[in-house]
Amino acid sequence: MATNLTLNVNGVNYSVAVADTSMPLLWVLRDMIGLTGTKYGCGIEVCGACTVLVNGQREHSCVFDVGSAVGKQIVTVEGLAKDAQGQKAQAAWIANQVPQCGYCQPGMLTATVGAMKAGHHGSEIMSEVDHICVCGTYSRIAKATQAL
Amino acid sequence: MDRLASSSDSVSINRRAFLGGGAAALVVPFTVSFSARAQAAGSTLGAYLKIDSTNVVTVYVGSTEMGQGIMTGLAQLVAEELMLSWSQVRGEQALASSASPNPYGNPLFGMQLTGGSTSMRGWYLPMRKAAAIAREQLLAAARQLYGGAWTLKAGGQVTNGPVAYPFSALVATAVTIPPLTSPTLATTSTVIGKKMPRLDIPAKVNGSAIFGIDVRVPGMVYASVVHCPTLTGKVASMPTTAAGALALVNLGNAVGVVANDTWTAMKIARSLASKIAWTQPANMATLDSALVQANGRALAQATNVAPKIYETTGAVDPAIVLASTRKVDALYQTPFLAHACMEVLNCTASVTATSCEVWAPTQGQQFCIPTIQAITGLAPAQITVHTTFLGGGLGRKIEQDYIAQAVTIAKAVGKPVKLTWSREQDFKNDKYRPTAAMRVQLGGLDSNGAITAMLYRNVSTSINGQKGNPEDTGAVAGAVGLPYPIVNRRVEFVANPCDVPLGYWRSVGESYNIFAIESAIDELALALGRDPMALRKSLLVADARARGVVDAVDKMSGWSTSTAPSGSARGVAFMKGFGSYIALVVQVSRKTDGTIKVDKAFCAIDCGVAINPDSIEAQVQGGIIHGLTAALWGEAVIVNGAPKPGNFSNYRVAKARDVPQMSVAVIASTAAPGGVGETGVPCVAPAIANAWAKLSGQRIRTLPFYSGATMSGL
Ligand code: FES
Ligand code: FES
Repeated sequence: MATNLTLNVNGVNYSVAVADTSMPLLWVLRDMIGLTGTKYGCGIEVCGACTVLVNGQREHSCVFDVGSAVGKQIVTVEGLAKDAQGQKAQAAWIANQVPQCGYCQPGMLTATVGAMKAGHHGSEIMSEVDHICVCGTYSRIAKATQAL
Repeated sequence: MDRLASSSDSVSINRRAFLGGGAAALVVPFTVSFSARAQAAGSTLGAYLKIDSTNVVTVYVGSTEMGQGIMTGLAQLVAEELMLSWSQVRGEQALASSASPNPYGNPLFGMQLTGGSTSMRGWYLPMRKAAAIAREQLLAAARQLYGGAWTLKAGGQVTNGPVAYPFSALVATAVTIPPLTSPTLATTSTVIGKKMPRLDIPAKVNGSAIFGIDVRVPGMVYASVVHCPTLTGKVASMPTTAAGALALVNLGNAVGVVANDTWTAMKIARSLASKIAWTQPANMATLDSALVQANGRALAQATNVAPKIYETTGAVDPAIVLASTRKVDALYQTPFLAHACMEVLNCTASVTATSCEVWAPTQGQQFCIPTIQAITGLAPAQITVHTTFLGGGLGRKIEQDYIAQAVTIAKAVGKPVKLTWSREQDFKNDKYRPTAAMRVQLGGLDSNGAITAMLYRNVSTSINGQKGNPEDTGAVAGAVGLPYPIVNRRVEFVANPCDVPLGYWRSVGESYNIFAIESAIDELALALGRDPMALRKSLLVADARARGVVDAVDKMSGWSTSTAPSGSARGVAFMKGFGSYIALVVQVSRKTDGTIKVDKAFCAIDCGVAINPDSIEAQVQGGIIHGLTAALWGEAVIVNGAPKPGNFSNYRVAKARDVPQMSVAVIASTAAPGGVGETGVPCVAPAIANAWAKLSGQRIRTLPFYSGATMSGL
């Protein structure tokens, strides 16, 4: 039996019918809502590619039950530009030409903005955002976050 | 002998290798055709350019953009020739072409395939020439339409005195002008050589970049797979239904699970593993990394084998010279490696009775249409293959397995399907980088300062051999054509038969042979009581470009002018490869747990004309990180047919805490462009091993440094 849920993502309400409320938010975002910016990397909270903000907190959407996201403010990479901190982080990423393949970057950026919202600055952000980037863009991320 | 395989610079791909032998002409004459293509509104001018009504110029890129910046690099060439402003330039992946010659095939080897760090090498002149032809057509169109003499004006315009027209006003006429065969190339450097912002970065920062995994097609369903837990095993029998699944599809070596979302498909696939009966391969016990490596070590020493000789120089058999002057006799070994692309394998396909459309993160477009034809029986004209962005390719996405699976599933269910492998399936069904054993014997120096002899043997499993071609220059790439003066040399290859599925991994042969060569050169320096930097400098004295990079890292690291800080040591490595020269100095220390920390890396690269110095720096930085991962932890252990890596939790890759402080110097050069994407990787392992030997007295000849590392451990 499908369950109807309303999710607020980047300030927009989406109605979704999920077969299982334990379905991870990642796949609801990607497959049902069509917001594909949030990425699947490992599915087990090791890589950080799936990071979203839930009520401002960084969460691994690959293991975050969609049922627990109801009634909360979800922010994905597509919504970062809606706020000043998000814009600042994105501008720093562009100024430092951070991405290579770019696949890990939605998670990196979303976590960076989450760390900023938690009051972290500059080099603290790098230790907060302990994600995997196989392309090895770490030193450019360090440079980009330096000014945040 | 084809052009790539015979060049001294070791490009490890060649058409014959990929096609499984026997293919004839390889170097395709470059043609600009008027085969109009309408991927989007606007007029195409030749095969590579589209000019739309707002005067935006789109460059169709045959090489795959996977983070290395080729889309931007090729667009820079066009912008230079056409005096475009950077804001009016776009890049777009070309569709896979089945034309022969393939207009999107890399002009170096004719195939639409991205590998061997060949994209800029292949396209530099041809793309400039294509843009220059377009420029002459636009100018001719202006003359035809308006009379008088016209010249280019910045911003994609033509001008005659006070009058100017945008290209968009001319393109309809320009396409009717016969193309010149040898146009003059621009002599300016307004865009080439500049740190132009990458065209793909904005979309990669706001989440709008479409990777393969992000493709959405109306009416699409979702699929995942479960393969036989044993490499090369096959489905014997399988359930025909599963609760929650829309369909189960037999894929031969795997079962495809179709569902309403990816998570459900993956979950069912995982639960099916125990319900499928598999036919295990007869040689299951030989699909074992320890066994293959033991064979490799034995074959590296064996005297009762007939090696294939890939290079000989000098008048005397090096074995004879070595008998009296041997200074180094060392055996090096490197493991199987997984690719671990950040984006798992995936592909979206839609198949009807008369058409097939595929969206794939692929670096092997040349093979896609034949792969799809074999499954669907359709004609090439009925098949469309779109290349998406790739979340890393690293060689894995040349392979066609995941594309064939998606097409097979889509055909079976009669609906568009997006297939996404789980991370576990991706690690356990890789085409692994071959393990290699390398015995290196070096003599001392003669009175001219040259090395008297080198006997080099690589024992590995030929990637090309597995693909049906016994020729494997890739296995010795990095060991042949060394720029060091070595009087008598012989480079041998001995095949280590093994059925573990193999594939090309970033920097292929150089990834292991440069580890052996540059470690051995260091061991030679120690044996001779010479400083490793000074020895390389004297050996390379006659090669200005080689000396250029070595001198640069000497200076950058302070090697010759200062001792390393206490508790630290430096190591150096050098490579001439992929059409470029690179040198690397690393400075290492010990962490409190006694393991190595790479604190600093100083790298100099001479890749000829540096189209985009910022992209080159990024590639070298990334290459160093990739090489560091491989040197310290990279290893795919395979036991009794079952690969052990299952996720990033037990496949350690470099994280922020591991990253050294890096300085990269891009040497100014007017030489033809060299490769960059892979060039940063091979020197890392030997430089680290050389530094560690100096710091600890312990010479690491078998990689990785730390076997069995986990992401949360070491
Ligand atoms: S996909 Fe969630 S942490 Fe890797
Ligand atoms: S940019 Fe490619 S994985 Fe981070």
